[in-house]
Amino acid sequence: MPTLVSVFDFPSNTASAVRKLKDRGFDDLKTYSPAPFTELELAEDPKPSKVRRFTLIGGLSGVTLGFLMQIWMSLEWPIKIAGKNFASIPPFWIVGFELTILLGGFFTFFGLLIVGGLYPKRLDKHYDLRFSAEEFGVVVTCDERDVAEVEALLRAESAKEVTLADS
Amino acid sequence: MSELDRRDFLKLVGVGAGAAATACAEPVEKLVPYVEQPEAITPGIAVWYASTCTECPAACGLHVRTREGRPIKLEGNPDHPINQGKLCGRGQASLGRTYLPDRYPQPMVRGAGGSLEPSTWDDAMAQLAAKLDSARGRTWILGGTVGPSLGGVIDQFAVAAGANRIVYEPFAHEALRKGTEAVFGVASLPIFDPSQADLIIDLGSDFLSTGLSPTENARQYADARNVNTDKTGGTRMISFGPRLNFTTTSADQWIPAKAGSEAAIAFALAKAVVAAKGTPEGVDAAGIQRFLSGANMAQAATAAGLEPSELSAVAEALLHAKNPVILPPGVAYTGSQATSTVAAVMLANALLGAVGKSLVVPPATGTADAASFADLKVLVAAMKAGRVDVLLIHDSNPVYSLPPELGFTEALGKVGTVVSFASLKDETADSAGLVLPDHTPMESWGDSAPRPGIRSIVQPTVRPLLDTRALGDSLLELGRGLGGAMAEGSFHKVVENNWSDVNWRQALAQGGVFSEVVIEPVGISGDFAGLGYSASSASGKGDFALVAFPHHFLGDGRGAALPWLQEIPDPVTKLQWNSWVEMSFESAKRLDVGFGDVVEVETPSGKIEASVFPRGGIRDDTIAVPIGQGHSVGLYASMEGEGEHGGWIHGPIGAEGQPGVARGANVIALLPATEDEMGGRVWGGAQASVTKTGRFRRLALSQWTDNQRGRELAQSTSLAELAGHGSDHGGGHGAHHDEPPHTFTAAYDADPNQPYRWGMVIDNDRCNGCSACVAACYVENNIPVVGETQAIQHRDMAWIRIERYVGDGDLEGGAARRPVPNREKLGELDIRYIPMPCQQCGAAPCEAVCPTLATYHNKEGLNGMVYNRCAGTRYCANNCVYKVRRFNYFDYGNENFPGMLGLMLNPDVTVRQQGVMEKCTFCVQRIEGARQPAKDEGREIRDGEVKTACQQACPTHAITFGNLRDDASKVVEAGNHPERSYHLLQELNTRPAITYLAQVTRDENEGNH
Amino acid sequence: MAPPATAVADSLASPERPRDSRANIDIMAPTHGVQWPYFLALGAAVLGVLQALAVLLYQTYVGLGVAGYQQPVFWGVYIVTFVFWIGIGHAGTLISAILFLFRAKWRNAVNRGAEALTVFAVITAALFPILHLGRIWKLYFLIPYPNQRSLWVNFKSPLLWDVFAISTYASISIMFFYVGLIPDIAIARDRATGVKKAIYTVLALGWQGTGPQWKAHSRSVLHLSGLATPLVLSVHSIVSWDFAMSIVPGWHATIFAPYFVAGAVFGGFAMVINILIPVRRIFRLERYLTDYHFENMSRFILLTSTICGYAYAAEYFIAWYSGVEYEQTSFWLRAFGPYWVSTWCMITFNVIFPQLLWIKKLRTNLPFLFVLCLFINLGMWFERYVIIITSLSREYISGSWGLYVISPVELSVLAGSFCWFSMWFLLFLKVFPVIAITEVKELEIHARDHGGAH
Repeated sequence: MPTLVSVFDFPSNTASAVRKLKDRGFDDLKTYSPAPFTELELAEDPKPSKVRRFTLIGGLSGVTLGFLMQIWMSLEWPIKIAGKNFASIPPFWIVGFELTILLGGFFTFFGLLIVGGLYPKRLDKHYDLRFSAEEFGVVVTCDERDVAEVEALLRAESAKEVTLADS
Repeated sequence: MSELDRRDFLKLVGVGAGAAATACAEPVEKLVPYVEQPEAITPGIAVWYASTCTECPAACGLHVRTREGRPIKLEGNPDHPINQGKLCGRGQASLGRTYLPDRYPQPMVRGAGGSLEPSTWDDAMAQLAAKLDSARGRTWILGGTVGPSLGGVIDQFAVAAGANRIVYEPFAHEALRKGTEAVFGVASLPIFDPSQADLIIDLGSDFLSTGLSPTENARQYADARNVNTDKTGGTRMISFGPRLNFTTTSADQWIPAKAGSEAAIAFALAKAVVAAKGTPEGVDAAGIQRFLSGANMAQAATAAGLEPSELSAVAEALLHAKNPVILPPGVAYTGSQATSTVAAVMLANALLGAVGKSLVVPPATGTADAASFADLKVLVAAMKAGRVDVLLIHDSNPVYSLPPELGFTEALGKVGTVVSFASLKDETADSAGLVLPDHTPMESWGDSAPRPGIRSIVQPTVRPLLDTRALGDSLLELGRGLGGAMAEGSFHKVVENNWSDVNWRQALAQGGVFSEVVIEPVGISGDFAGLGYSASSASGKGDFALVAFPHHFLGDGRGAALPWLQEIPDPVTKLQWNSWVEMSFESAKRLDVGFGDVVEVETPSGKIEASVFPRGGIRDDTIAVPIGQGHSVGLYASMEGEGEHGGWIHGPIGAEGQPGVARGANVIALLPATEDEMGGRVWGGAQASVTKTGRFRRLALSQWTDNQRGRELAQSTSLAELAGHGSDHGGGHGAHHDEPPHTFTAAYDADPNQPYRWGMVIDNDRCNGCSACVAACYVENNIPVVGETQAIQHRDMAWIRIERYVGDGDLEGGAARRPVPNREKLGELDIRYIPMPCQQCGAAPCEAVCPTLATYHNKEGLNGMVYNRCAGTRYCANNCVYKVRRFNYFDYGNENFPGMLGLMLNPDVTVRQQGVMEKCTFCVQRIEGARQPAKDEGREIRDGEVKTACQQACPTHAITFGNLRDDASKVVEAGNHPERSYHLLQELNTRPAITYLAQVTRDENEGNH
Repeated sequence: MAPPATAVADSLASPERPRDSRANIDIMAPTHGVQWPYFLALGAAVLGVLQALAVLLYQTYVGLGVAGYQQPVFWGVYIVTFVFWIGIGHAGTLISAILFLFRAKWRNAVNRGAEALTVFAVITAALFPILHLGRIWKLYFLIPYPNQRSLWVNFKSPLLWDVFAISTYASISIMFFYVGLIPDIAIARDRATGVKKAIYTVLALGWQGTGPQWKAHSRSVLHLSGLATPLVLSVHSIVSWDFAMSIVPGWHATIFAPYFVAGAVFGGFAMVINILIPVRRIFRLERYLTDYHFENMSRFILLTSTICGYAYAAEYFIAWYSGVEYEQTSFWLRAFGPYWVSTWCMITFNVIFPQLLWIKKLRTNLPFLFVLCLFINLGMWFERYVIIITSLSREYISGSWGLYVISPVELSVLAGSFCWFSMWFLLFLKVFPVIAITEVKELEIHARDHGGAH
């Protein structure tokens, strides 16, 4: 199937191009952006990122683990300290809190790697150096018969160039 | 401890077997490995031997604790009538003599190179024998006081060798003996018992510190002032002296009389007493009148720099008291009229009825008595004239302790052969041609007869560690060689034979034979020929009266070799390790010097340099320098062990020491070689001039301020308040006044299912600050001595310290970088000593902050410290409000027990590693020691079964330890004095397990409230 | 049907290299080429680290006695410096996390530098609690590692809280730092060659700036900021509790947590300025680090300085108001005791000097700012010195009062810590862009886009 690679200068019309393409049902598309732009992200996929679930799970497991660990360790070999309870909860909040943050952070990080598919790998065929400079790329794959329409659509959104990569 | 190589191990095993046998039989002659288990030795179980302390003339009884044949701790012998189970700091530390690196490993002979070369006994003895043979009549024996048996052997030898014997003691108390003789016709040293007096007039005797029997007197004095039983507060003491000395701090009134005015005062008082009491029949009243003629109250007052009223008030008190006693001046104040002074004092005592009660005059013992200074001059003259071929020196260090003015050292050069029997290196042995090292007391046989009815035995508790030989044996052999009539057998046999009149085994077991002997009362014979008082003119023209006083621990200098005595702070000044010049703040200002500034002190006899210690407790016209420092030989006595880094303190990295460099200055160099009317040595009366050198040498001062800022650390209350009525004057009087918050019951602070909660009660009113507990703690708990360099940096490791405060304190001071104690005031007394061990808090601040649980609360309420778990964050020490935690800054445990000192370590106590925290454990090893037998017998640990080291040592029974959960226990009873008891910093809610009992101010007019 | 000719006409295959963005070129410039002054600086730093290392070996072998400790002052310069560096780190997190949450876009230019500062400050600080241990080789005692003797740790001890707080803080900062770097590393990757390219390729984790990547990225940055914000507040609070939880007069104060946090931000911003001014000058980044940025930071300094001033005043007031003699004495001697110099340095440098920033001219006068911030850093170090040393030297038992004097060993370790920090920062300058390129672009492109470019 043919793939059209288009290059834009501005996030705004890149976004609208994407939106239009999606409206016309051309879902098999991919964007490249040199910087984060909310409008572009929304145009491509309005759903919020799944990363947040990771954070939540991480945080909850952190606080649980933190308290369980401290209480168990204090009770496994009970040692009297300064006349306090063996497992005295108030001071345990500190470590409990720290572990919440720690695991929350780690889960978020790994969430990013998983959701964003980040790992050392070959770059896409159509990825271009300009996309890490200042230009935006939209790569659409469509049927032979739709090429003309897609190109027209892209150019209508003032794409700097549109290329037919492979048939 | 220094790691145990094969040699040490064999030695150790050997001494084990040795000690096993010495307990009751001939020493075994060869090493016996433990394949043949000697009976009486069970590894891990301590064996105790009774012996006698030879550090000072008091001759206290010892119990020597040995483990695997090594003596590791000295404790008082409870059966011994003199010390009754207690032992002073000097006694505690004397154990170290056996293990000090200073010991001569074998006989030494001065070689061609002029240095002492190792030799063998055969050679050395042969050499000496030859010399002696040719030196008949030209041989002299010079040595300290020794026991009867050894004394006998020496005399036999003297006969055999045709030698003259001179018994030399630096503090020979000649005046005391001669003065007593003058009055009672008996040349002996009176036995003093404070408990028999209700008023003590102390003319600077310092009897609680360096008197004839400090441990005994301290106990008696404390008992005589027991406020728990006697609501009047018991015996009172009025103390004279230009300087606030150790004994004065325990007095009720301090009259700061000029130095050198003792004679005038003594005579004035005597005159007053005679006037009031008259002279008994059969006494030459005229003689007495003539004797006292020189004195009068007014003139004495001027001489002493006092108001006549003050003096007459004392006389009044004397005459109104039921059992008053006057104590003659001590060593520091023996002036040119010392004998007359003593005579006057004794006369007064006799008339006051003190003699036979608080002062008992025993029959003269004769030969063993020390010779007078005059006799020494004869010897020195003979030496100078070259009439001495062989000089045998034992148990004394004349080169150090005789005034240079006498020229003894130069005279030594004229002597053919100088032989020293010293077991430890000292100045005299260092200049001897031949050294025949004696055993240390822990290795030797001997005996002592301090007073009628008391004979105690010195028995070896360890097989000689080095190639040394008992003095007795050497002399016996030499004497026989000279064909003299010497006693049979070894010296051991000689001692045993001398005791043939009693059951030897039994005597050995209990340390001697102790019987109550009634001493016939003596009457006044009153032969005052050559005695009398005339206004004396001080020698020298300097503007300061020089007081050379015996150091509380170092005594006449023999204590300087023992590191513990150097490091434990002097109770009065809290100074460690070096010499100092005490002068008033006024004088210091006048000379434009401050703490640590080096000054030159000069008298006609010589000059020394030492750092200034300004204090309030000394007259403006007086300076004081302690006797005992200034040794140039010895690892600890001199600077040999102290490099810039502190030498042995740093071990591998440390700089070389400074061998041959004296530590501090020897004040004896300033003293004239003069004697009093009766030929006794004069220590006092010199005038000195002081000049600033501009140099600065910091002194190791363990406590920088004596101001407790009204924090009620060392509390004090008055008799009036004890009685329940009377008003608070000045505040800070006992916890009972304003009930502090957080009242609690220490007994609760342990596992509810446990029978024990260990606790302690410390009675500050009984504590006189002598620091015996500190020494005991050092030895018991393997506490390293860190040395002067580190002590200056406040890095001493003491687990218990005696804090010293003056009065309730105010909010002044503390801003100086290095403040000095400055609250003493002339003539005022409110000195508060407070022993400070770990308080074993129920809610310990140190526990909560330790991240590794290295310190925790154990089931019996102790604040445990797990050395192995300690990572060294030191947070516990920061958070300890009592500042009783100590940190191992260096590898003390390894480096600071050089040579054989490692053998002295207590196997029951862990030696701490570099970088860990340590502190008082309430001697937990002793608790565990008592637990096993209790378990075996299926009972609980009995009250009194466990004694902490400090409690065991304390001569005044100020410390009580026990189980707070046992209502019948002594500790609960002792703490049950609500009117005096308080907890330290109770408002911080640390729930300490130690209860303090406030000090009691006896007289309203006294103290600086 | 054949594709339209036009499409074939302008193919990507055109030979001439496409133009790169100015931001890329400017900001990546420092990472290219070698300048000898740079290596001189780096060499000096490394030497400094080595001498400190040697000294530390000596200290470990001989014992802590070579430091200035003496009863009753058991903590010294090491803990002082620990608190100092921890404080420094806080500005970084504040800029990158808190300002991010507040959508303060001006931060974009400075946050990379600030984050780097945080990371390196934390790994510097983390060394001190370790090297001040009496037995470094027992460090693992402080970690609750499973062992058959079931020896655990004391979770009631503030020092253990430190262990967790600092390790958490370090991990989160490093993650935050790295996540922010990924897109920039990709930029570097696309322009590098050879080994450098290989390394960047691995670090870039295949970043291409696709939609899903950016989405996940922005979301994680948001969450990490959300986590880092309470964390940064907790960390210095916990550090302050090392003191506040104790019973030492002068330490036992409830104001410590906010007081320390404010102080940390204060000192941190000073350090950021001290570092960014030379960086901007040397690498000609005036276009990105404008006066505007420095003025904003100056405002922060003015604010936090005033908070510190308030805290100092409050401390003294409470000490007096409490009526507790221990506290009163402790604070009186703080100001007029043996350490009065440190105290007055602290007050002058931290409270009085920064008030000059009320003057707008001075807020944008970089040489002045630079000098002022040097003083502030000094003052903040003194603040910790005063709190720790003076309080310990004058406690309850007046008979046990003492004095602490810094030893040469401690001084060289102190110096070493600065070298250690600079070493890492210099390395960072050479490897990664000192300014977050994508965030700069975001602003630029956004501006161009909505500046009606078409």
